[in-house]
Amino acid sequence: MSDRSELIITGKPFAFDAERDAEFERLVKRYPIRESMILPALWLTQEQEGWISAEAMAYIADRIGTYASKVYEAATFYTMFNLEPKGQYHICVCRTLSCWLREKQEIVDYLAKEIGIRPGEISEDGRFSLEEVECLGHCGTAPVVQLNGEFHEEMDVDKMKALLATLK
Amino acid sequence: MAEMVKLFVNGEEVEVESGKNLIDAIGAVGIEIPHLCYHPALGADGNCRMCLVGIEDGRPPVVPACKTPAREGMRVQLDTDNIKKIQRDIMEFELINHPVDCPICDQAGECKLQDYYMAHDLQDSRMRVPQVTKGKKMDFGCGVVHDQERCVVCGRCVRFTRQITKTGELGIINRTDAARVNIFPGRPLNNRYALNIVDLCPVGAMTSRDFRFKQRVWFLKKDKGICHGCARGCNIFIDHNREKYKDDVIYRYRPRLNSLVNGYFMCDEGRLSYKEENENRLTATMIEGKETSFEDGIQRIQQELNQAKKPLMLISPNSTLEQQWAVKRIATLYGARCSGYSEGYVKAGDGDDFLICDDKSANRRGLQLLDIDCERTTLEQALGECDLFISFDNDPFRFGNNEELRNAIAAKRVIAISSHENTMTEISKVALPVASYSEYDGTIVNINNVLQSFTRAVRKNEERIDILEVTRLLGGAVRDNAHAWPGMKTTVEELAEVHPDRIPAEGLQLSVSEESHVSA
Repeated sequence: MSDRSELIITGKPFAFDAERDAEFERLVKRYPIRESMILPALWLTQEQEGWISAEAMAYIADRIGTYASKVYEAATFYTMFNLEPKGQYHICVCRTLSCWLREKQEIVDYLAKEIGIRPGEISEDGRFSLEEVECLGHCGTAPVVQLNGEFHEEMDVDKMKALLATLK
Repeated sequence: MAEMVKLFVNGEEVEVESGKNLIDAIGAVGIEIPHLCYHPALGADGNCRMCLVGIEDGRPPVVPACKTPAREGMRVQLDTDNIKKIQRDIMEFELINHPVDCPICDQAGECKLQDYYMAHDLQDSRMRVPQVTKGKKMDFGCGVVHDQERCVVCGRCVRFTRQITKTGELGIINRTDAARVNIFPGRPLNNRYALNIVDLCPVGAMTSRDFRFKQRVWFLKKDKGICHGCARGCNIFIDHNREKYKDDVIYRYRPRLNSLVNGYFMCDEGRLSYKEENENRLTATMIEGKETSFEDGIQRIQQELNQAKKPLMLISPNSTLEQQWAVKRIATLYGARCSGYSEGYVKAGDGDDFLICDDKSANRRGLQLLDIDCERTTLEQALGECDLFISFDNDPFRFGNNEELRNAIAAKRVIAISSHENTMTEISKVALPVASYSEYDGTIVNINNVLQSFTRAVRKNEERIDILEVTRLLGGAVRDNAHAWPGMKTTVEELAEVHPDRIPAEGLQLSVSEESHVSA
């Protein structure tokens, strides 16, 4: 586990756009405890910006009416929340047991060769970023890769190559 | 009284309060169950696992004592090999990434990790990999300095800010071995009780900027006292030390449990008010700007009193009941009027709904009980008529000047009997130094009519006597604290049933008539 406590402060105020704002208001009614909105609100932010800044966390805390420290806790606990800007195409490769056994490493090595980035890095042109993540919950169809949140199952190097081809 | 139950600890029968958790219940009869995250004021969290105990016949095989209520017939096991191994293993986990910088750590000597290592661990490190490094000496605000590497992530500090102050500045960030306590960027600690975190922290992760590196705690003498910072009268430990060739100096106050008054905590302002006991003290007797002996000072005051036709005595709302009584008696002796006027001690609107009071004096209730007039109008009238003004450690200008009153007092012959240098000693013809509250015994009544007694903690190289002793030297009839009580008991209805030598440790709740509830 790496330290995720250093947040990026953009110096610019954050707010949900109209679409996320409406979604927030729709979701908040579902929860008897308002604090339960921390995770959905973090997702909405990530959907909107691609990552979550200190300002966004403060916004979420104030919007929900909870402590900023609680949002900070949740956002740093779950590694699927990006705390820094990612590439245009953010690739997540599952590194938990089933995917590991079914050669996720081959995919990671292929991506390193093809795009030139290791897990945790962003390509120089800013188009790609790569992350190894914990279990994505699709163990039956391991190995799995997420591309900008979309699942691609039973992956291998050929399929990864084909997938990358669609992006170029 | 709570219901008692009989249970067995390591096979031995003990009688404990029912309903309490095992840590508190068994702890009350002197058997300690090691724990890091549990604190009675913050409740059970169950995250540290240090308090796991076995319950014979019970399921599951081990349970956290902090979350297990004491029940009749329970058979608690603390000394089985299994439990000892768990404690040793938890300690090993806690110490994997601990810097073990005890020689430069302020907590050394009062650290749970040190204590538990000696009691439950005593093994060498088996780690052959680099330690996880984290933040050092981080400024969390409010004088709290954090060392993330020393932290055991028990979460007491986090729960304190969420449950007690409800400000929620702290959180546990990251997870697994990267977990650490932090503030949200740009939102540091911002509450008036933040330094309690330093006491709550079982290890040296939270230290006080004020106390850091000042003293090794084992050199400090820890005497019981009562904070005089406001009308709450929080129970405290006065931690002081006389270093070789130096004077007895107070280094810190810490809150002391009193469920009737302050619980486990105290405010930061009160905590740091120890400085006022060390600093700005009136040390020399001054007559008309010249330093003289204490005896000459007393003699001069006596002369002034004998010559004066209408003396006026100002009694302090910070003085003890006994002192106030002694001054009241000596006022009668010299035909003086006395006043307890002390609006200067009130900071209107400064109090809150927890511990801090508007009234920054410790014993205003005492003035009321002893029927000493505190009205401004009466003081002004008496001031107009008087030809000698003696203040018994009452500083009417404590929080801010009042030009009009200052001029009115300064126009008189002023004698200031004072523990500190202040406006009164400045405008006085005679200034006589006396002891402050850490240097005498006495009894005070707090804002909720809890009568508490306290004893002397500090002995200065140059000992100063207290106000009661001054009145005795001036010919007063009250010889000492005990001697003040028969008179007070017959005069003051509320004190009639009080036995001064039998005041409970938690204080005595006085039943005070409605009339005396009206106060400044």
